[in-house]
Amino acid sequence: MLKVVLSIFFLLTSLYAYESEDKLKVIIIGKVAKYITYENAQNLDNFVITVLRNPFENLFDDIYKNKRIKSKPVKISYIDHINELESTNILYIPNVNARELSDILYKTQNSNILTVSDTRGFAQRGGVMQLYFISQKLKIKINIQSAKRHSLKIQPTLLRIADVVKDEK
Amino acid sequence: MIKTFKIKIVICCLTLTSLMGSEDLFDEDIEDILSIKSELKVEIGSRDGARNYLSSNTPIDVITAKQIEHSGLTSLIDVLRYFVAGFNAPETSVADGSDHVRAYTLRGMSADQLLVLVNGKRLHTSALLHVNGVIGRGASHVDLDTIALKSIERVEILRDGAAAQYGSDAISGVINIILKGIGHKNSISLHGGARKNGDGEQFQADTFLSIPLNYDGFVNITLDAKEQKQTQRAGTDSRLSPPTVQTHAGVPDATNYKALLYTEIPQQGDITLYAQMLLNYRESEASAFFRPACEDSAPIYSSGFLPLISAEIFDYSALIGINGRFSDTASWDFSNVLGQNNFHYYVNNSMNYSLGSSSPTSFDNGSLNFLQNTATLDLQKHFQDVKIAGGIEYRYENYAITAGDISSYSGTASQGFAGFHPDNAIDEHRDSYAIYVDSIYSFSEDLLFEVALRYEDYSDFGDSTNGKLALSYTLMPELMFRSSASTGFRAPALAQSYYSQTSSFVDTKGVLNTQGTFRNDHEVSKSLNAKTLEPEKSNHFTIGAVYQPTSNSAFTIDYFYVKVEDKIMLTPELTARSQEQQEVFAKYGVSAARFFTNAATTHTQGVDIKLNYSHLFSHTSNVDFGIWYNYNINEIDKKDRSILENENPEIKTLIERGQPRDSLKFLTNYAFQKINTAFNISRYGSYEQSRDSVNYKFDAAWTADLDIAYQISNKVNVAVGGTNIFDTIPNKWDGLSGTYYGSDGIKPYSRYSPFGYSGTYYYLRASLEF
Repeated sequence: MLKVVLSIFFLLTSLYAYESEDKLKVIIIGKVAKYITYENAQNLDNFVITVLRNPFENLFDDIYKNKRIKSKPVKISYIDHINELESTNILYIPNVNARELSDILYKTQNSNILTVSDTRGFAQRGGVMQLYFISQKLKIKINIQSAKRHSLKIQPTLLRIADVVKDEK
Repeated sequence: MIKTFKIKIVICCLTLTSLMGSEDLFDEDIEDILSIKSELKVEIGSRDGARNYLSSNTPIDVITAKQIEHSGLTSLIDVLRYFVAGFNAPETSVADGSDHVRAYTLRGMSADQLLVLVNGKRLHTSALLHVNGVIGRGASHVDLDTIALKSIERVEILRDGAAAQYGSDAISGVINIILKGIGHKNSISLHGGARKNGDGEQFQADTFLSIPLNYDGFVNITLDAKEQKQTQRAGTDSRLSPPTVQTHAGVPDATNYKALLYTEIPQQGDITLYAQMLLNYRESEASAFFRPACEDSAPIYSSGFLPLISAEIFDYSALIGINGRFSDTASWDFSNVLGQNNFHYYVNNSMNYSLGSSSPTSFDNGSLNFLQNTATLDLQKHFQDVKIAGGIEYRYENYAITAGDISSYSGTASQGFAGFHPDNAIDEHRDSYAIYVDSIYSFSEDLLFEVALRYEDYSDFGDSTNGKLALSYTLMPELMFRSSASTGFRAPALAQSYYSQTSSFVDTKGVLNTQGTFRNDHEVSKSLNAKTLEPEKSNHFTIGAVYQPTSNSAFTIDYFYVKVEDKIMLTPELTARSQEQQEVFAKYGVSAARFFTNAATTHTQGVDIKLNYSHLFSHTSNVDFGIWYNYNINEIDKKDRSILENENPEIKTLIERGQPRDSLKFLTNYAFQKINTAFNISRYGSYEQSRDSVNYKFDAAWTADLDIAYQISNKVNVAVGGTNIFDTIPNKWDGLSGTYYGSDGIKPYSRYSPFGYSGTYYYLRASLEF
């Protein structure tokens, strides 16, 4: 009987769990792509996620190994400076200072790229999707004006579970 | 047959597993991913930013806003007692000011050896000094009942010495209260309840309002109003014929208003302005012992009277700050926080016997006031494998005592509590400077090493330099070892240096007779070998392990050892013995005196063992449980002053056995769709109290608490619950009989009882989110 109880316990504990903030962020970055239509999509062989100054160690490689997004294999590209940016579907921007963020947003404006960051105020500053945590739950904030500028059509399903904001004037 | 049964169970489990999801989160539905709890991060313990509380090199515990909500409790002190094994907060009565500001301790140490921060900034202490024989005797500590619960995002409890990081007071640990930031819903709640006996009614209304600002800024406002009626658990007064219950023993009558404003205003660049304002106004009333009818009271009270000691407490803390970044890896923060606590004594339904029929029945007995201003500049820089933080701090403190009405202290003084005499009135201050650095080195992915150093210079007693070394080693992803060693100190509180309360009366022989608490530098104190107060000095050592077999379960075990030298204590009442002492006593007409002194060396050691487990079945269903066992021993190693050479069992018992040496918490929370159930069991170990040089033991006890909440709609939640639902009452004094204290006395229960003696409390709660 004890074995049965232990079996149940370990089966249960192997299911959902507390996850690190980084892991949840990395997963959601790719997960939201399902709800986004790239209106001027470049004909890339892969679905490309570019990570600026990777703060996630091996998480992107581990999670997206052998994964497909929009029926394409996922390619993770790491860059140290925005000038190194090549064709990509998603650009993750780490918590950078305001001047650099402004520069990045300027260089990616009107591109068909989903910009994602956890920088405070990212969405209102012109980014498309901001990630943040409240009471240990990951939240998504989307700037619909910015999404339009980036020619991204976001499905209502995603907008329903996200906080929708506009540019700060 | 049995084998078949087992196979069926395993198949059921496997089926259950497949229904609940797989290990690959990427394959899960986005809503399920968003409902997964992230790791619990804390900011306490290091200045390098938030990190997983389990990866800390020192033991840290966290109480979340959800846990607070489902506890059904209405004060922060009760929340900490409810969740933290080793946190002790008895409910005292007939103990003057101590009835109005509850003392609390961690690991059985002194109440003033626990530092309290709000968002990482030091919170000022109460002006009250506990001078009666209560847990916390001789200490002045932060009044935790000034903070509105609804404003709290989480409470972080660091169980280690941290004076090398945060300065004075961080000896038994540090409590860091993190206020709700952006994104929390507006809400309003109503809470009403009463004790099983029908008394002790409580009614609370509180609201949290959040106004979003640009760039994720916010203005959060919390308002909280609470009224608490007294409980009555006193015994009969054998001095009366027939004996009746007159004195009030139980929780006091209290009305408490709290307001909190917290705002962060990000600017266009990297600069953020922030401010927080805590306001608290409280009126509280508790009784002294009943005064039976006598010749002195006859002019006003023909059948005796019950003096009522009232406290009017006004407390505020106003902080403004600004922070920004030099670069992606370097940041700065400057803040200034001004805090003040004013404790005003009044005595009602009393009289001053000396004034006969012309005596007032209500008195203004004077006030205590403490003010603290702290200005801090913090800097942080992250390198490849090193994180360095440091800063400078300036602090100004002022302590004042204002005398009461002349009728409150003249002659025999107001009965119940004597007013502060003009001789007691003071207005003293000091300031201090500090410079500190805290750095973390990553020798490898598995080995982290932390070094902290802090130098402080106080204008009254001089300087103190303290250091901390801590390391964590991850043997395997599931298993981490941690250890720390540090030195610390606690500056004497201004109240301990300058508090005095003396009352004088002419005895039956016509001789002026003065008694009470004298300043440490008073000639009477000096004749009793009082020395200028020195800071308490401490040494700390912890070693422990964190085992996380899965990411939703954790087992921690930590041993701790704290040695405190020059512990500041309030002496018992001392009389003159030598010729010299008798001459000094006679000069001031003093018959007995007590004062603060660096009296003893103590050591505290013990262990904390915790097991946490959490499981999410779906985004509407989860279970959490935790088991926490704390064991600690406090012992006096040696007495450093001759005044305590004569064994005083009351003080010795208070320190060594007055608090439970062990406590156990079993915490469970089960959420299933619209229903949330929290059920907690606590065990409090035995404790002892001394009366007339005899120790009396009080048994260990179990209590249970239950809260059942139902989500009527997305916005409306109702709950019913109770604390101490099986009505556990501590045993009465065993073998002690007496008028005041004893199984048949006015106070049949020990004031040290760690869970009070008022019994079951039932409540209803309703909340609305909008």
